[in-house]
Amino acid sequence: MSYAYLFKYIIIGDTGVGKSCLLLQFTDKRFQPVHDLTIGVEFGARMITIDNKPIKLQIWDTAGQESFRSITRSYYRGAAGALLVYDITRRETFNHLASWLEDARQHANANMTIMLIGNKCDLAHRRAVSTEEGEQFAKEHGLIFMEASAKTAQNVEEAFIKTAATIYKKIQDGVFDVSNESYGIKVGYGGIPGPSGGRDGPSASAGTCCS
Amino acid sequence: MSQTSRSLFLFCSFPRNTDFPSPRRHLPLPLSLRFQFSAKPPMLESELHDLSDDADYAASLQQGSAGVMLRSDSTKQRSPSSDRDGAEIVFLKDNVAIHPTQFASERISGRLKLIKQSSALFMTWIPYKGHSSDARLSDKDRNLYTIKAVPFTDIRSIRRHNPALGWQYIIVVLSSGLAYPPLYFYSGGVKEFLATIKQHVLLVRSAEDANVFLVNDFQNTLQRTLSSLELPRAVPLACGPSNMSGGESILNENQERVDNGVDNGSLSVSQSHGRPRHKAQDPGRDLSIQVLEKFSLVTRFARETTSQIFGENQSNGFSTNERRTPIQTNLDHPKKSSDIVENIPDESPVVLDSQEFERLSLVWGKPRQSPLCSEEWLTFLDSEGRVIDSEALRKRVFYGGLDHELRNEVWGLLLGYYSYESTYAEREFLKSVKKSEYENIKNQWKSISSAQAKRFTKFRERKGLIEKDVVRTDRSLTFYEGDDNPNVTVLRDILLTYSFYNFDLGYCQGMSDLLSPILFVMDDESEAFWCFVALMERLGPNFNRDQNGMHSQLFALSKLVELLDSPLHNYFKQHDCLNYFFCFRWILIQFKREFEFERTMRLWEVLWTHYPSEHLHLYVCVAILKRYRGKIIGEEMDFDTLLKFINELSGHIDLDATLRDAEALCICAGENGAARIPPGTPPSLPVDDGSFYAQQDEIL
Repeated sequence: MSYAYLFKYIIIGDTGVGKSCLLLQFTDKRFQPVHDLTIGVEFGARMITIDNKPIKLQIWDTAGQESFRSITRSYYRGAAGALLVYDITRRETFNHLASWLEDARQHANANMTIMLIGNKCDLAHRRAVSTEEGEQFAKEHGLIFMEASAKTAQNVEEAFIKTAATIYKKIQDGVFDVSNESYGIKVGYGGIPGPSGGRDGPSASAGTCCS
Repeated sequence: MSQTSRSLFLFCSFPRNTDFPSPRRHLPLPLSLRFQFSAKPPMLESELHDLSDDADYAASLQQGSAGVMLRSDSTKQRSPSSDRDGAEIVFLKDNVAIHPTQFASERISGRLKLIKQSSALFMTWIPYKGHSSDARLSDKDRNLYTIKAVPFTDIRSIRRHNPALGWQYIIVVLSSGLAYPPLYFYSGGVKEFLATIKQHVLLVRSAEDANVFLVNDFQNTLQRTLSSLELPRAVPLACGPSNMSGGESILNENQERVDNGVDNGSLSVSQSHGRPRHKAQDPGRDLSIQVLEKFSLVTRFARETTSQIFGENQSNGFSTNERRTPIQTNLDHPKKSSDIVENIPDESPVVLDSQEFERLSLVWGKPRQSPLCSEEWLTFLDSEGRVIDSEALRKRVFYGGLDHELRNEVWGLLLGYYSYESTYAEREFLKSVKKSEYENIKNQWKSISSAQAKRFTKFRERKGLIEKDVVRTDRSLTFYEGDDNPNVTVLRDILLTYSFYNFDLGYCQGMSDLLSPILFVMDDESEAFWCFVALMERLGPNFNRDQNGMHSQLFALSKLVELLDSPLHNYFKQHDCLNYFFCFRWILIQFKREFEFERTMRLWEVLWTHYPSEHLHLYVCVAILKRYRGKIIGEEMDFDTLLKFINELSGHIDLDATLRDAEALCICAGENGAARIPPGTPPSLPVDDGSFYAQQDEIL
């Protein structure tokens, strides 16, 4: 399946905030409470449509534990979008956002679009971080913000797509040089002409990662 | 009757073999070849420098010098025709070896010569005496393989092989369709060898295979030659001993030379070595490869058959040899393998034919065996339950793993929790002592009240992290599945107890993956804990907060790839992949996510033997990378693509084939490989305690 663009996303945040579950909900539309913890990085991919253009999201789901940070940092390279996730029922995961953000700012390209996600909003009765606090943090740091639930799928689709839409708009506004893949964007065969078009298009989209 | 060699074999794929001459066919060889040896020194200075640490070289040098003295004598004694036309040695190469079995340790090293007499060119290969790297090879074996003055008129073709690993070798095919065993050029020189031949006889590169050189190819025999080279269908052929006096005299010269000095030389080398070395470290054991393996069966068969048929003849012919006690020592000077292995990148082609590589890699290493079963296990124990020969046990487990029901008993030994010298009773006693010790440590956190926990953030965090992870560890296995599974609780308790036992290291993700199979196998909380402790003694630094253990692992891996596959290394370098993060998961949890559960347990027990190397896991990484190198390079994978590709190999890796490759790579790299692994790289014990633990580790 061809695409107009391929965006690389990275999902970051403390361990156990639901990064892998968000990914699985987005790619497979299911919630799997029992899954193996992530060691290193896992991948997922899905096609979406923005402005009638097929866009492939290639999503890197990283391990959250502090000690793996030195490894995780290498995954930021060439990411167009990041989902920074915390768990609304665990305050410390919110408190650690600043350090995650620092990592992202330091190791990702400056134009990376960051979406802050307060996950597990289905567990409102155990909420430890208010929606306002999340909004405030996002505003202060120039992030897009949403509360979501990987379990109920609430806002999951929206979070990934809104991020993509923001990146797409940046492309339209000429923020990126799309021929430079270090921005985490690859131009595919899906109708966007250009000198760099298509190099990775067919092969990448034909991969098994969409399963 | 006469024959060029008793170790020939033929290739049956060749249609001509229907009218193939009898094995005892006489080959037309000149009689009474006599050579006036030139004054050329036995070794060039440059070679001396390169090989000064090579025991083969040392021996050959002594042979050479002794030989210079003896040649005239022997010629005088035995050769009434010594005043014949002088023969000139136009090419001489030492350390050319054949591998009579699939184990290169049983190689027979010798000297290859091209001799020009009048207008005819002859090839000889004479093994060194009393100098085998393996004690099982007798003088008789050596003589069996001796190539005595084959005229090039009898040689149809020479095939050159440049294996990805190891030494270049050639296969000489005679006009009859017979071929000699592969000749391995341990000191290089195949190119010069061919170039020299070309100066004296018509040598044409085959149009169909650039590595086949046709000799005196006046009639277009190309097709026949090529079909005769279809190696896999080679069948053994027992050949008669040579009665050619010319060849015999060369051999006898060689024997005499041996009497005069080689023995002392090889002895001193071996003695300087101190303790007997681990067999796997013997660079002479080195790699075996597909063709070699196939040939080895052939040659071994041919040799044995020949021995039977011509036993009497040989004992008559070589009685002097047989009375002599062969000096067969382990001549692995530490620098020897380095020298040899260092040569590989220079001598192997820059970019390999990946197909050829994959084909070859499929059969490297020793065949895997069936798992050790209970019945056989008992043969490793004395009546009181001590392991009689721990190295033999480790070797057995390395090659086959364990039947599942034995794991419970043997894993504790492999991990060093129980000592091999312990009796059944001692192990039972230790078990009970350790059980109460475990309970004590466990009570340290069990006794923390909720009020105390409120003021103990570190504890709460650690406990929370572990609780989050145990419910995400192997839950698809029956053993851990379902809500409130007690085994999941035990997993948590052990990890939390461990984080108190080793508070500095604490808990890190990945530990639960390592513990899960251990608990599954031991099925006892305390036993699983202590086995896990023993495993973490080895792998703990991989979980250090600063990741220094993992960084040294990945660094060592990059060094090994550089050594064992420099084109791949260069590829990674050019594509900014040298951090090897794509192998992070492999190493951290020892390939647990790459194989299904049962296969993981098999791999682990193999790794835990520390049999060919305690760092075999790194060679496993290299083996997998090499297996897919064609795809990686061919598809020009960048870091991201590579990471994804490697991740997606999960579930698709052939464990047995990988282990065979890894073994071969490990042996090929030898001590040079070991030298590339930074001291203290897990599972090596920390450098500080090195001297003490290193010895213990030998026993493990």
